[in-house]
Amino acid sequence: MGQVLVLGLISGGIYALFALGVVMVHRGTGVLTFANGEVGTAGLFLAALLVDGWTIPVPFIDNPTLPALPWALGALAAVAFAALLGCLFEVLVVRRMGVSDPVAVAVATVGLALFLLASELQIFGESPKELAAPVTGGPTIFGVIVTPTQIAGLLLAIALGFGLQAVLRRTDFGLGILAAAQDPAAVRLVGVPLSRISLTIWGAGAALAAIAALLVEPTVGILYPGYASELYVVGLAAAVIGGLNSLPGAVVGGCVLGIAQSAATRYLSDLHLPGLHFVVVLVVLLVVMLGRQLLPELIKRMDTAPSRAAEVSA
Amino acid sequence: MTTPLLEVRDITAGFGATTVLHGVSFDVPQGSIAGIFGLNGAGKSVTMKVLGGSVPARSGSVHFRGQDITKLSPEKRVAMGMGHVPQGRQVFPGLTVEENLRLGAYTLRRKDKKRYGPALNGVFDRFPILAQRRGQLAGTMSGGQQASLAVGRALINEPDLILVDEPSAGLSPVATLELDEVLQAVAHTGVTMVLVEQNIAFGLSLVDTAHLMQTGTVVHSGPVGELDDQTLATHLGIGRVLQAAAGSALAARQAPPVKKGSRARRPA
Amino acid sequence: MTAVSRPARTRRLRVPGILIALVLAAVLPPTLGAAVLSDSNALLASAACAFAIAAISLNMLMGYAGQISLGQFAFVGVGAFTTGIVTSPEQLRLPWLAGLAASVVVGGLIAFLVGLPALRLRGLYLAVVTVSVAYVGWLSLFRVEAIGGGSAGKVTPNPYIGDEPITSDTGFLAIAAVLLILVWQVDVNLTRSRLGRAFQAVKADEQVAASFGIDVTRYKLLAFTISGAVAGIAGSIIGTAYGTVTASTFDYARSLLLVVIVVIGGLGSRWGVVSAAIFATLLPNTLVWIFGPGIRGLDLVINAALLMYTLAQHPGGFAGAIEHFVEKRRQRKGGAAPLPPTRPNLPALTRPVGMPAIPKTRAGTAVLTATGVSVRFGGLQAVDSASLRVDRGTIVGLMGPNGAGKTTMFNAITGALTPDTGRIELLGVDVSALPTHRRTALGMSRTFQLIGLAKGQSVYENLLIAQHLAAPYGVLSALTTIGPSRFYERDVRARADEVIDGLGFGRYRDTQVARLSHGQQRIVEIGCALVTSPELVMLDEPSAGMSPAAAEDLAATLRDMRDVLGRTILLIEHNVPLVLDVSDELYVMDAGRVIANGEPVEVVTRPEVVTAYLGVAPSREEARV
Repeated sequence: MGQVLVLGLISGGIYALFALGVVMVHRGTGVLTFANGEVGTAGLFLAALLVDGWTIPVPFIDNPTLPALPWALGALAAVAFAALLGCLFEVLVVRRMGVSDPVAVAVATVGLALFLLASELQIFGESPKELAAPVTGGPTIFGVIVTPTQIAGLLLAIALGFGLQAVLRRTDFGLGILAAAQDPAAVRLVGVPLSRISLTIWGAGAALAAIAALLVEPTVGILYPGYASELYVVGLAAAVIGGLNSLPGAVVGGCVLGIAQSAATRYLSDLHLPGLHFVVVLVVLLVVMLGRQLLPELIKRMDTAPSRAAEVSA
Repeated sequence: MTTPLLEVRDITAGFGATTVLHGVSFDVPQGSIAGIFGLNGAGKSVTMKVLGGSVPARSGSVHFRGQDITKLSPEKRVAMGMGHVPQGRQVFPGLTVEENLRLGAYTLRRKDKKRYGPALNGVFDRFPILAQRRGQLAGTMSGGQQASLAVGRALINEPDLILVDEPSAGLSPVATLELDEVLQAVAHTGVTMVLVEQNIAFGLSLVDTAHLMQTGTVVHSGPVGELDDQTLATHLGIGRVLQAAAGSALAARQAPPVKKGSRARRPA
Repeated sequence: MTAVSRPARTRRLRVPGILIALVLAAVLPPTLGAAVLSDSNALLASAACAFAIAAISLNMLMGYAGQISLGQFAFVGVGAFTTGIVTSPEQLRLPWLAGLAASVVVGGLIAFLVGLPALRLRGLYLAVVTVSVAYVGWLSLFRVEAIGGGSAGKVTPNPYIGDEPITSDTGFLAIAAVLLILVWQVDVNLTRSRLGRAFQAVKADEQVAASFGIDVTRYKLLAFTISGAVAGIAGSIIGTAYGTVTASTFDYARSLLLVVIVVIGGLGSRWGVVSAAIFATLLPNTLVWIFGPGIRGLDLVINAALLMYTLAQHPGGFAGAIEHFVEKRRQRKGGAAPLPPTRPNLPALTRPVGMPAIPKTRAGTAVLTATGVSVRFGGLQAVDSASLRVDRGTIVGLMGPNGAGKTTMFNAITGALTPDTGRIELLGVDVSALPTHRRTALGMSRTFQLIGLAKGQSVYENLLIAQHLAAPYGVLSALTTIGPSRFYERDVRARADEVIDGLGFGRYRDTQVARLSHGQQRIVEIGCALVTSPELVMLDEPSAGMSPAAAEDLAATLRDMRDVLGRTILLIEHNVPLVLDVSDELYVMDAGRVIANGEPVEVVTRPEVVTAYLGVAPSREEARV
């Protein structure tokens, strides 16, 4: 039981980080992005190159080789690169689409996901690459060794989920971001540049995805094209479960899915169902979404039924 | 002759296949309060959106302080000294009163952080209720208090011109009265104002000049004092039967209930 | 006239056309020499056909019905593995055609199940669910030993025709090409039937669709089911042509690529998505052929980049860009066509044969009665126990200032929203519990403040959409054009042309509604509201956005509707002179309540109406009360 909980929270923290990025972009711009998983993977690849000592292919001269960088610098570059990708996408695609419907922008993010996935396949091939963990070891809780990156992931998710709002309130621009989430039109009327807010949000969402990818990677130790997308999909589901607009909700959603997965792995292993992880996600997602849609209706029906009856008798 | 603070020339605008404004023109001199009146669908709110920059003009021009601002973004216009009290008083419900005001002073704080403190105190002096409730979430306040906040949020940026879009919509009589006091107070600061109001009798009690709109054009412009019931009825398109009613709305204007003090500040 | 004879001519040509195409598709690939069509090229061409079919299936869902799916390749996979299971010698050992049929059925069934939650979910939520479905298919379902054949993959045995097995890639290509042509024809039939038109209406606006009598729930589910069934065909081809398929043949990236293809090709354009699918399948080898083997894999990069470019620059996709170009050239050549009149000549139409007759009522009896209707939105009492009555053969006006609750009252009457309390009776029938499309069937129609038309469709198509209930034929008849669909289609098409002639819109028959001016759109909308000869026509601010001259014409049109056509009209209007001019009776609403009703000119002089309209100057006495 304790083991299920610990394992669930470990993966739940990562899902929560991805979900926080989803919620941030959705609240700020009304769009769901399907690309940030792959943006995170792209960042990981850059980190792996830098930590390995990157031989940069430059035509006509001897390919220069960078010295192998420490993990922290590689990670920093990964986050910066991801943020850059997010910003470029905002400037080159989202901004040009003008006031189009959020579904069209979502489809454009599908294009970005596929673009990055195909580029990674083209450059690195399908075989996994390695990126060594920055630190190893860690405490054992309920018989599970919990690594520092896993703890960092969960703590960061909780800190962002419950503290980001407060941090944003400290600056004018952060306040603008919060206000834009409430009413984008009115924000422009008090003189806050909405385009800069949108740029910041896309960049930050992408950076967050890279951070999540960096924190989960040492658990497995390898990366391959499409790697973080598989986790990001769960993050999307977690964000939806949490209500899509709530940062704490995203954290809760991530943890719920993580625990549901580890419980299913523990208690349903007799089914021998491949990909049980994803079946669990789909089932929880549907139950929560339909439940949320149907419950108010049921309640309303129960409320109005007696009053209608009373009317007839009156 | 000095150039007016705001010059609107022959604006056309619309959405998709619909053209809502067919050539709107008027001037707003420095220090005056202009009212735009008309029935639903006359194009009042679209005119305001064109002035604010959130709906593009298809042709025509808007000059503010002598500069052509027709193609400027809303935020640039705000930085130039335009303030807004948007339709429905849109305050940010999830932010506190003070945060709303701080955001209102966004461009002021970019220019000079030191001016923010006095400006905030100025708003608090004018609206003591906001000082009392500075930590309260704006969404939990009453309609009248939200109106004060929306006006305060516009004033704190020290604008030269305030665009007020249907402030009384959806307000109870008590709140309308509060709003009236707020706007009267603002009028006496000497700031220039453009007001759109559905409640024509209420609007007429506030403004100096009335611009009457019908189906996307300004059909009559002139000082409120020179309006008569027939002009009002004809140009609003409300038909002869409502003419008498228009007269009573004007009568209310001629004996303003709470208007005090002179407007000597206005250039003669 | 030509407009009437045109469909007949195309029908005579079309039937042999598809037969010739089918024969060619079946005969050509096996007879072409290896020099023209090597086995590897034939396999590639089969894959292109399968991809084209998959693209058509996704286009049905996204392009026609406007429902997003990011997991369409999961349904293709379902088709492939179903064919494998049904035909495999170790499993069901049935003939190949049974496998194909099973793929269609199972694909449709699973898509139906995915579609069930989709009824409740919109846009982005649906996208998240379908992405999860793609992952579940790829990583779970297709990896189950009994379904996907484990790591070795699923082997589909060669199909038989008679006793002779088809073993060559050219033979598979013949099958694929024949199926592509059949699916193409089904798609053509779909778009020309009430089914395709209902999809388009649902995509344009669900409330508008319901006002034309379309059961939105049913058609969304149908879109999922048909799309899944067609995707199953694509899967069956892939399984057969490849011989062995594994779960990774149907990975997540394939689903994304399919979305990319459909958007690049142009959502809603059949030839656009088919050519994009063929282009995307042939692109990798073409690139290798031009640049050498080092280039492999770059095609996905190119496609994805194209998608982002397309969305940023040409939202209509490749097909949309071409149409735009053609339209521009036509305008430059012919100049703008003369404007249709704003004073239409309304055609008197009888009730369509496909619709139930309206119960006979006498003049003076109530067509509509609403009693004690209340609607609450959160803290706002939008309508507060309002009642009204509309008598046969009259025009009843409903006016009031902004936010008075007129449109909410309208929506409660049409069934677009359920009031908290109150009773609505239409022609003596209590319709309070009926959804909009059932009320429409009883003889109610309406227009919308912001024009209730499918703006991406032509004037003619909109008039057909409006006759949804007048052509009550089934799905199979729609997809095959066999059976009752022919008879009903002839009837509704003739009516549509009659209305177009009457409105004076002959030159604009095939013009996209979005390209018309606002006033012209309004007239088309009124035409749509009248085309099924409903008893009650409800108009929501018809004069909004009209010039004063056009508004005068509108008054005459409204009187014609009452006096010449004998319709009953409920009219929301802001234009006071207009509403006073045409109404027989006037209701005035303010703050959710009906504050006055009676003879129009008398009503508007009442003090409470005057106050509602012109407002009051604030006074302390009143505020204290």
